Amino acid sequence: MKPIKALILGLAAAVGLTGTAMAQDDFPNRPLTMIIPLGAGGSHDLNARVITSVLPEILGQPVVVQLMPGAGGQTGTAAAAEAQADGYTMLFTHNFIDQLQQHVANLPYDPNEDFVSVARVNTAQPILVVREDSPFETFDDLVAYGQENPGELRFGHSGNWGAFMVPGLALMQEVGVETTLIPYQGGGPVIQALLAGDLDFTFAFPSVLSGQDLRALMIVGEDQIIEGIPTSTELGFDTVSEIGVMHRGVMVPAGTPEDRLEVLREAFVTINDNEVYQTLMARMDENTAHMSGEEFDELRQRQADSYRELVESFQ
Amino acid sequence: MIEMFAEATLMLMRFDVIAMIAAGLTLGMLVGALPGFTTVMAMAIVLPISFFMEPILGIPFLIGVYKGGIFGGSIPAILVNIPGTGASVATTLDGPAMTRNGQSRKALEIALVASAVADFISSFWTIIVIGIIAAIALLIGPPEIAAILILSLLVIVVSSSGNFLKGMVMLLIGCFLAMIGQDPIGAMVRFDFGFHPLQAGIHLLPLIIGLFAIPEILIAIERRRANVVEKIEGRRAEGERLRWSEIVGCGKTIMRSTVLGAGIGMIPGVGQVVAAFMGYSAAKNASSHPETFGKGEIEGVAAPEAANNAVNGPTMVPLLTLGIPGDNITAIMLGAFVAQGLRPGPQLFQEQGVLVYSLLISMLIACVLLLVIGYLLTPLFARIVSINKAYLLPLMLLFAVAGTYVYRSNIMDLYFMIAFGIFGYAARKLEFDVTPLVMGFILLPPLEYAVGQSTLLSRGDLFGYLVSSRPITVAVLVLAPILILWIAHRQRKIARAAPAGSG
Repeated sequence: MKPIKALILGLAAAVGLTGTAMAQDDFPNRPLTMIIPLGAGGSHDLNARVITSVLPEILGQPVVVQLMPGAGGQTGTAAAAEAQADGYTMLFTHNFIDQLQQHVANLPYDPNEDFVSVARVNTAQPILVVREDSPFETFDDLVAYGQENPGELRFGHSGNWGAFMVPGLALMQEVGVETTLIPYQGGGPVIQALLAGDLDFTFAFPSVLSGQDLRALMIVGEDQIIEGIPTSTELGFDTVSEIGVMHRGVMVPAGTPEDRLEVLREAFVTINDNEVYQTLMARMDENTAHMSGEEFDELRQRQADSYRELVESFQ
Repeated sequence: MIEMFAEATLMLMRFDVIAMIAAGLTLGMLVGALPGFTTVMAMAIVLPISFFMEPILGIPFLIGVYKGGIFGGSIPAILVNIPGTGASVATTLDGPAMTRNGQSRKALEIALVASAVADFISSFWTIIVIGIIAAIALLIGPPEIAAILILSLLVIVVSSSGNFLKGMVMLLIGCFLAMIGQDPIGAMVRFDFGFHPLQAGIHLLPLIIGLFAIPEILIAIERRRANVVEKIEGRRAEGERLRWSEIVGCGKTIMRSTVLGAGIGMIPGVGQVVAAFMGYSAAKNASSHPETFGKGEIEGVAAPEAANNAVNGPTMVPLLTLGIPGDNITAIMLGAFVAQGLRPGPQLFQEQGVLVYSLLISMLIACVLLLVIGYLLTPLFARIVSINKAYLLPLMLLFAVAGTYVYRSNIMDLYFMIAFGIFGYAARKLEFDVTPLVMGFILLPPLEYAVGQSTLLSRGDLFGYLVSSRPITVAVLVLAPILILWIAHRQRKIARAAPAGSG
């Protein structure tokens, strides 16, 4: 099935390239679509609204957000995989949908074969938090207690195989702590549960942290975004840093003509210097750590392997 | 605080602020009235517009879209029996019946009045005691949610009329349909029968549009009349307007629903659905003529509409006090706040108190404007029923199909809608009410989720955990059977009092 599909795609691309070589100059000449495999109102949706309010300036065409939630992101991703590889349909996703879902579900697509990256837009580093009045003053306190009392720590996360479960699971495996995992429906409810005293620890993105009665114990990833709080890289958990950070990225179906891909990749380089874009992202406490499509594709490949190991070790 | 209030009110007394709220309301109402276009979608689309406005303009604009959208959703539910969201399903119990009786204008107007009044009171109440509500909201965890859902389901089942056995069958079918897909706790796929599209589960929208709209269209075709509403010589199809005495008559019902809705509003996500059904059940239980419910009773429209709008006030509390959005609508509001450089939470109240209060007061203004704009627009909407059936029915079908597809552009949803349409038609012919099915479908997942979470939180000893650290849960669970017995007792008394054959 796969080679046939690739052949057809290749042929279509070849015919498309020769047949429309002249029309390529004015790509894009009609509105573009950005599929989001998640629902309205989440942080991903908000990021997309910022991107699509600035991107039309650069591409000269409107960009329409199409929300296609369902099955942990599979529904929207599958639709993007089946879309025509003409550069007019983009997928705005993140690594926990993109690279992790393939190991926990049967997918009708192959994330690494069927997509090629336009850019990584930004990253979000989860921060391990406890309540301000928690007995755990440091990360070591938490680990020490967890090692002595297996299964006692209540770790709330924002959904199965999501942005908080993955770093938490990877981290707890590294330090040999067994916890009770409790899923909540999103990052809001899980913080509320922590504040209410139902949980011992969870994670939060920087945007949630300010002004709350929370204590940060550790930052997942490389950058020390809060002073005085250790990062997972600093503590020597390199795998956690690599797979636990959320990478938001834009992709197009494999087989999209090179020159069109180039136009899109260039647009995401340009948007990163746009002042409005920078301001809006900064207000939402999001960074603008752009990464080129080529580099991101390599990173995705590495993530795929790490996630497989994580999922296998958990099941 | 009085000073802040006065200052905040003054800030809002600008023509452009009022105009933006009005624009938002009108937009929201029109979009909300289209099946498939949800309030959340409308808000997400206009969100970027608010990025580039002053906060005092942009956020009230979004509040307008929100409130307009919620009321707009009731319009097709009342006129053509198509509930666009779970929150307006309870409105279909009496709304379409009123339309068929030639009272569509009256039905829309009582829905409008009930919505606006309940929303106003609950928002006002929220502003006054926001600190207390915030403290209570933290006490509501998974065990409490589970207990309240169980209590609500029992009350609704006991007070529903019709054949009990048929109702239970439909409820169980709904529960089963809700279980298809991934289970909420372990994410294991179940009941997909090896069929990949079922892995994502069945979505609510194709289910309700299929169950309500398609049978409605088919049955309208069977009736050999030119119009959906029977035309009576010398009377307009949309009927008379709402009378003041009727509003007063519904006053008690609206108040009761407002209190219920504001209380249940603490449950994130399904609060509106539960509140609407509870409001309806409570109105029916309190009524001296419960037999008219389901046959076009005006209180049967006022009760769910007031209840689901009274939820709006409390749902804003976690957002404003903690910066935590409880559902998608408040998540979009959070986005609007942060894009303006405002970070909701305890600090915002201290640093920008006047601005926060002015935004809260803009919610009140939006309720008043909703009443005005709604009053001007309802006659137009109400006339829809006077369109000749030959044009109206194809239009309804078009909206049903387009609405199902537009929600997430999934072709599978259309197949599901058609399947549920056939099922709904068969159910109507066999006199099975589909409402319990929808209720089971909507309420089982949060219940299953909450029970699963509670079990995990208890780390194995559920009973001990509830008794030792969940007093509210225990209280609700103890109260449930007492309340049920009381309702059953009342029903028997009314049945005895009413002369045989009159009901």
